Amino acid sequence: MTARASLFGFRHILGRELRQIAARPALAFMLAPMPLIIFIALAAVFAPGLPRDLPVAVVDLDGSTLSRQVVRMVDGASDVAVARQVPSLAQARQALVAHEVYAILMIPPQMERNLQLGQSPEIVIFSNNQFLAAGGTAARSMLTTALTFSAGVSLRLLESNGVGPDRAAELITPIPVQQSPLFNPSLDYIQFLLSAIIPTVMQIFICAAAVLSFSRERHSAGGIARLMHLSKTPAQAILGKLLPYTVLGTLVLLLGDVLLFIFFGADFRGNVAVFFLNGLLFILACQMLGACVAMIARDTTGALGMMAVIVAPAFGFAGVSFPRFGMSDFAQAWGSIIPLTPYLQLRTDQTLRGAPLEYSLPAMLWLFALLVAFTALLWAMIYRASRRAPQTVGVNT
Amino acid sequence: MISLRLFLSEVTAALRTLLGDPNARMTMIAGILIYSVLYPQPFVGEVVRDVPIVAIDQDNSAASRSFLRRIDASDQVEIVSAMPNMDAARDAFFRREAYGIVIIPAGFEKDILAQVPAPIAAFGDGSYLLVYSNIMEAVTTVARAVGAEVNFERLTATGMDDVQARASLSPVSVTNIKVFNPQGGYASYVVPASFVLILQQTLMMGIGLLHAGRRMPTGLRMWATPVAYIGLYVVWVAFTQLLLPLFYGIPRTGDFSTLLLVALPFICACTAMGFAIALLIPWREGVVFFLVVMGLPLFFLSGIAWPIESIPQHLHILSLLVPSSSAISAFVAVNQMGASPQDIAGTVQLQIILAIGYTALAVAIYQLSSPPRQQAGK
Repeated sequence: MTARASLFGFRHILGRELRQIAARPALAFMLAPMPLIIFIALAAVFAPGLPRDLPVAVVDLDGSTLSRQVVRMVDGASDVAVARQVPSLAQARQALVAHEVYAILMIPPQMERNLQLGQSPEIVIFSNNQFLAAGGTAARSMLTTALTFSAGVSLRLLESNGVGPDRAAELITPIPVQQSPLFNPSLDYIQFLLSAIIPTVMQIFICAAAVLSFSRERHSAGGIARLMHLSKTPAQAILGKLLPYTVLGTLVLLLGDVLLFIFFGADFRGNVAVFFLNGLLFILACQMLGACVAMIARDTTGALGMMAVIVAPAFGFAGVSFPRFGMSDFAQAWGSIIPLTPYLQLRTDQTLRGAPLEYSLPAMLWLFALLVAFTALLWAMIYRASRRAPQTVGVNT
Repeated sequence: MISLRLFLSEVTAALRTLLGDPNARMTMIAGILIYSVLYPQPFVGEVVRDVPIVAIDQDNSAASRSFLRRIDASDQVEIVSAMPNMDAARDAFFRREAYGIVIIPAGFEKDILAQVPAPIAAFGDGSYLLVYSNIMEAVTTVARAVGAEVNFERLTATGMDDVQARASLSPVSVTNIKVFNPQGGYASYVVPASFVLILQQTLMMGIGLLHAGRRMPTGLRMWATPVAYIGLYVVWVAFTQLLLPLFYGIPRTGDFSTLLLVALPFICACTAMGFAIALLIPWREGVVFFLVVMGLPLFFLSGIAWPIESIPQHLHILSLLVPSSSAISAFVAVNQMGASPQDIAGTVQLQIILAIGYTALAVAIYQLSSPPRQQAGK
C-alpha cells in the first residue's frame, strides 16, 4: 500500500466522523459546551478557595467577662463564625445533628472563678467528624483559639507570680513550631481539589465520546467491515475516528486550564511543553480506553455502563483526597491502570510542586505505557473483528 | 381487591421487563453490586497512619534525638530516614518517598538549657490536605508536650510548687471530642454519602434505558411501573445503608424507619425525575452519558466534601432541584448521626415537592409530545 493510499483512507474516515458529529447536535453539545458549563459551575463552587465562617455553636455556662472574651475570640477567627449561642449542651447537640453547626464550644460553669482559684477549668470542643473536612476545620480553629486564650491567661498568671513579662512570653511557647506547607501555601482548595476535578470530569467526557464513536461501528450490522472497507487498515480507522475528539478534548481541557491558571491564578511552576504533552498523552489514553470498551461491550449503552464502572470511581482511586500510599494493593493496582492517576501525579508535579522534570519521568512513561497497551489492544480487536467479518458488504457510505 | 391483585400483577410485569432488559438489569442490579465492591476500595484503610516523613537533625543532641523519637512514635507519622540537608530531603519529597520534613536547627538543646525558645520547623505536602494536617498535628502535639515538660521543670526549679506550676502553665485544659465517626474514618465519611448518589444515578439511568425514546406505559401499567422501581430501590436503600456499613465496619446509629421517612420520598423524586429526563432526552445513550458525567459535580454540591455554606447561594438553590443535593446530608444525619424526624423535616418536605413537581413535569411533557405520536399510530 502506498503512502498516498494510506492517507486517503485516514482522510475519508476523518471526514465521515466530522459529518457524523455535525449531524448529531446533542452529541456536539455534550462534546464541548457541556464540559465547559460543568467547569464553570464547579469553579463557582470552589471559588472561595477556603471554607470560611463555618457555623459553630457556643454553650457558655459561665457567662463571665472572661468567657465572653473566649466567645469573641472564636467568632473573630476567619474559619468559623458563632451562629448559635445556646444555654444547654442538649440544644447545641440538636443543632449539630440538624447540620446547622459543625462544632460546639462548651465553656464550663464558674470558669472565671476556677481560674482565679488555680483549678484548671476544662473547655470542651465537640466536633462533627461525620463531616470530616468541615468538622475538622472548625474544631482545629476553635482549638487554636482556646489554646491562645489559655496562653494569655498563663502569661498573666506567670507575671503575677513574679516572672518578668519578657521571660513569661518566652515560657509560653518553649518550642515554637514554624509550620509551612511546601507548596500551596494558603492550602487553597482550588489548587488541589478543583485542579484535580477538572481532568476527572474530562476523562469521563473523552472516554464517552470514544465509546459512542466506536460503538457506532461495532454495534451496527456490518459496521466494522464497512469501516475497514473505507479505511483500509485498522490504524487509519483508529486515527481518523479519534482525531476530531482528540482536538476537541485538548481544546476543552486547555480552556479548563486557562480558567484555573489564568482566571484563578493557580500556581504553575512547571514546564509548559511537558504539561501539554502530558495532557495529550492523557487524552489519547482515555480515547483508546473508551474505544476498547466499545469493542468489548455488547451494545452502546452496555459500553457506556462498563465505562462508567471504570471512570466514575476514578477520582477516589487517583488518591487526591485519600492518599494512594494508604490504600490496599488492589486499590493501588486498579488506580494505576486508569489514565487519570499518572496524569494527575504529573500534573501536580508540574503545577503545584514545580518538581524538576526527572521526577516526573516515571509517571509520564507509565502513562505512555498505558496508551501503548490500550492502543495495541484496540488495534488487535479491530483487526480480529475485520477478519471475522470479511468484506461481505460492499457498502459505501 | 381484584384491582389490587391486577395492580400487583402489573408491578411484577414491570419488574420482569426490567429483568429482561440486559442493560437495565446491568445498571439497576449488577451495577449497584459492582459499585458496592469497587467504590469503597480506596478508602477501606479508613485513616492515614504513619505518613512517611524525613528528619533533618542539625543539632544531633540528646534532646533533639529524643524529640524525633517521640514524633516517630506517634500514630500519624513515621520518620523513614534522617537526611543530612534540605536538598536531600527535597529529593525524597519529589520522589514521593516522604510527605513531610522536620528540621531541628543547631542549638536546639542549648536553647532549651538556656531557657530561651528553641524553635523547630515542619514542612508538609500542601497538595494533600489530609496528609498535611496529619504531619502538623503530630509535630505540634509533641512540641507542646515536650515544651510543657521543660517548662514544668523550669518553674519547679525556681521553687514554685507542682500544682501552682501546672496551673500557671496550662490554666485552661482544652479537650476536643469528636462526635460521630470518632476515628475520623475516610470510608465512614464518603461511602454512606456516595451510595445515596449512586442509587439516584442508577435509578434515573435505568429509567432512561427502559423508557427513553420508547412508548410510555399506559393505563394501570403507567402507575405500576414507577411503583415497581420504587419498591426495588427501597430494597437497595436497605442494602446500601444497612448491609454495606456492616460489611465495611462503618458506624451506623440510625433508625431504619426514620431513614425510610426521607428515603421513600427521595426515591419517588428520583423516579419522577428519571421519567422527566427520559422524556426530555429521547436518546438512551444520551441519558446514560448525561448521568455518568453529572455524578461527580453533584457529589461536590451535596455538602459532604465542601461545606454548603461556602457554595454560592444561587448555585446551591439551583442544585436543590436535584434530589441528592439535599437528601445526602439527611441520609447521613439519620443513619450516621441518629437524627430524629424533626431534624430532617425540611428535607423530607423538599423531596415530596420534588416528587410532585417532576411527576407533573413528566406528565406535561408526555401530554405535549403524545398527540403527534397517536396520529402516527392511526
